[in-house]
Amino acid sequence: MHEYLEITVDKFSFKVATDRVYSPEGVWARPEGLRIRIGLSDFLQQRSGDVAFAEIKPQGTVVALGDEVAVIETIKVNISLASPVTGKIVEVNPAMDTAPEAINQEPYGAGWLAVIEAADWETDRLQLLEPQAYFTQMKAEAEHEVKQ
Amino acid sequence: MTSNAPHEQPNRRPWVVIVPCSGIGKTYGTVSREAAYEVTDDLRPAQTQLVALSKLVLGDETARSAVADNPAITIDGCKLACATKMVRESGGVVARDFAVLDVYRRYKQFKPQGIAELNEGGERLARALAEEIVGLVDNLIAGGEGGQNG
Repeated sequence: MHEYLEITVDKFSFKVATDRVYSPEGVWARPEGLRIRIGLSDFLQQRSGDVAFAEIKPQGTVVALGDEVAVIETIKVNISLASPVTGKIVEVNPAMDTAPEAINQEPYGAGWLAVIEAADWETDRLQLLEPQAYFTQMKAEAEHEVKQ
Repeated sequence: MTSNAPHEQPNRRPWVVIVPCSGIGKTYGTVSREAAYEVTDDLRPAQTQLVALSKLVLGDETARSAVADNPAITIDGCKLACATKMVRESGGVVARDFAVLDVYRRYKQFKPQGIAELNEGGERLARALAEEIVGLVDNLIAGGEGGQNG
């Protein structure tokens, strides 16, 4: 059971899970020992739209922080997702092949993308945002988009 | 609405009503309508009838009768599924609801783009969807079931 920071902007409600950290682009990273599970924030998935396909780099791929780790095709856009951590991909969510809509339905749960064995998590973590900081940034972005 | 609506022809075999998404300015809505036109105008004009979602929303009696008296195939452009919901609210039975996104997942090579005018991928996706619908229409006319949604 996750705990969330929540906000409603116009007719949209956004949640930020408090048990993980975030890249400024909205990719979350949750440590599980030496491994880091990653996925899309609720705000990023809602802003991007319904996911048609999710192509994640295969297991065994080594990525550096900022490298493309996945490409998501939605009904609106194609987005390249940067890895929030340096390391080796040790697991890819098998559901992404058959049911990528899990990203929209459960962005903090079943919609996870991959698990990365971190090379230096403590250093990478310094580049990421704590939940409250991401929440503040996300709120500003959401309010800005509503005004447009 | 044509004068030979299905409810006015009790002696003929049932028509199948096609209700596409009414989303204007959305690529997937356009794909849904193009597929519906292809079925009702070109592929199975004698067996199908297009009902505009907007008429159901407005409570048009002819449109409501058409969906209430005949099996309906709905084509939704997004997860709001307005076409499916409105057919059910109008007393109709949805034989099968197609979601354009799910259809696209089956035909990844046909990436739809464009709104007023679809790109080639969109046209081919609409055609593929229309062919799936035709198979279902033929099955329904023959007395079969609607099959799985998607």
